[in-house]
Amino acid sequence: MAVTQDHGPAAAAARPAMPRTRRRRSLLGGPLRRAAIWLPLAALVVWTLGPFLISVSVSFKAPAQVFADPGLIPDEPTLDAYKRVIDRPGFRSALWNSVVIGFGSLILTLLIGVPAAYAFARFRFRGRHLMLLFALLPMLVPKVGLMFPLFLVAVELKAFDSRLFLILVFTGMLLPLAVWLLIGFFQAIPRELEEAAAVDGASQLRMLFHVVLPLSIPALLTVAVLAFREAWNEFELVLALTQTSASRTLPYELYLMQSATGIADYPLQNAFALLTILPLILVYLRIERYVAEGLLSGAVK
Amino acid sequence: MAEGNPTPDAATATRIVGWQHPLIAYISSAPAMIIVAVFLAFPVLYAAWQSLFAITPLSRETPFVGFGNYIAVFNDPAFWSSLGRTAIFVAGTIALGLTLSIIFAFALNRIVSGLRFIRGLAILPYIVSSVAAALMFRTLFNSDFGFPNQVLEFLGFEGIAWLSNGFYAMIVVILAQVWTDLPLALLFILGGLQTIDKQLTEAALVDGATGLRSAIHISLPLIVPQITLATVWFSFKAVTSLGTVLALTGGGPGDSTQLLTLEMVRLGFDEYDTGTAMALVIIIFLLNAGLTLFYLSLQRKFGMK
Repeated sequence: MAVTQDHGPAAAAARPAMPRTRRRRSLLGGPLRRAAIWLPLAALVVWTLGPFLISVSVSFKAPAQVFADPGLIPDEPTLDAYKRVIDRPGFRSALWNSVVIGFGSLILTLLIGVPAAYAFARFRFRGRHLMLLFALLPMLVPKVGLMFPLFLVAVELKAFDSRLFLILVFTGMLLPLAVWLLIGFFQAIPRELEEAAAVDGASQLRMLFHVVLPLSIPALLTVAVLAFREAWNEFELVLALTQTSASRTLPYELYLMQSATGIADYPLQNAFALLTILPLILVYLRIERYVAEGLLSGAVK
Repeated sequence: MAEGNPTPDAATATRIVGWQHPLIAYISSAPAMIIVAVFLAFPVLYAAWQSLFAITPLSRETPFVGFGNYIAVFNDPAFWSSLGRTAIFVAGTIALGLTLSIIFAFALNRIVSGLRFIRGLAILPYIVSSVAAALMFRTLFNSDFGFPNQVLEFLGFEGIAWLSNGFYAMIVVILAQVWTDLPLALLFILGGLQTIDKQLTEAALVDGATGLRSAIHISLPLIVPQITLATVWFSFKAVTSLGTVLALTGGGPGDSTQLLTLEMVRLGFDEYDTGTAMALVIIIFLLNAGLTLFYLSLQRKFGMK
């Protein structure tokens, strides 16, 4: 049980005072201590999963059923809401846009971020000190503040409502974190490996591709997932930079749908929301460990 | 993973002559620098410049007005009331967010290995977009069939019209914001707890301290840096929050959840008052930066290092 964690046999043997305190605790604090750990854990599970469960439950009901049958498990579960979401042309085009923009941003971020991170990690050159500023920029410049200036820039460049412009913008947002994560990882790779390759006459490019990158797959995976998630979930900038279904992504489409329907069609809205989350959950379940670690090392700037 | 401290060992870097030519470094880092400069740094300078002009759709001329737009913003009562609501929203998000993430992190830190999946579970909200989260909370807090009202009615109380009452709408918006932003803060604090030397807490237990006392007097002071980081994170997300509030309440009912960011969108995209909206953009930037500096100075002042 969790309680025994800090009273290992080794600890008990090392400290003669242990048995006395332990007896006192088992009499007085035992059940209380257990509750002090289990109660917050139960609360955490309810807090995290609650909104998901309600949403899933509602999405399997018919619109009228939502009010008539408020129970968690639907009396007559139906896939009707999901069918209606998939039949919507708006959903299909938004899904396609999200896929294009998500993968576009991911690929461009890696293509541009990897060489930059490698240069920052391994070379000494004037301007390296700019990197800290570079990495801190997203914290200083929140996306919500970029909506309006970027909208004006897009109009000026005739790039408003364009998927390519969104990909470029997202890449700009993602690069600082991506480069930062990759630098940390590249620096952890022993320099001797590349020096050996250099002695053997390998070029810089060969070194990057044959020595550094194969060792960095976890970092590349983390960056790829984080980049895709950002592009997939972004709402504010899509709201500012797109207008038609030719470039609108899923969160904006969801927002339009929920503010457009007169009497809220809860099953439809929740089915839509869950379908947008589903691909990320499927990816995430496989690589949760990388994501957690990547987030941590990226955030501790 | 190594922390990104970019200080190479000068001796090893030049051990092999000609191994690294600076030109290669410039060429390979230039695209990243340019894209970030164009899409992240330039827009801010552009906004700052534009905020000094009176730009409205009504006239073709854009006269230079200096700080006129800022003065107009400060003279607008709508600005001050939305600033006040933003303050409540930010303070509420930080208070609830920190409380929950500290409690949850302590519980997760004591978890046995068989329950490690709970940590994975706790990060799930991180992959939900702000709009989807807002929609889930709209469903959850529906006054007819929502779960909280079902519980209230089961207990014999009257259900609450969560989203049509300004006070409760603010609470729901704060809950949704904390729900989306909690995972990362939880990871920060959990990371801090895991670096604490187990011997310290064990020694306190031997001396007769209870788990709670050792948590408050030993662990908590040691994770002040991580708590500060979590505070900065919650504050940053709350000050710049738009999607959650827009999709959940749209600023309503009335304008009881009309935050500064929503006010910016209203000025810029609904009223086409570009100059004033840009002034508001800059004010939001400064507010965010000022708050971050404030938390860091608090940590320096009261934090036990």
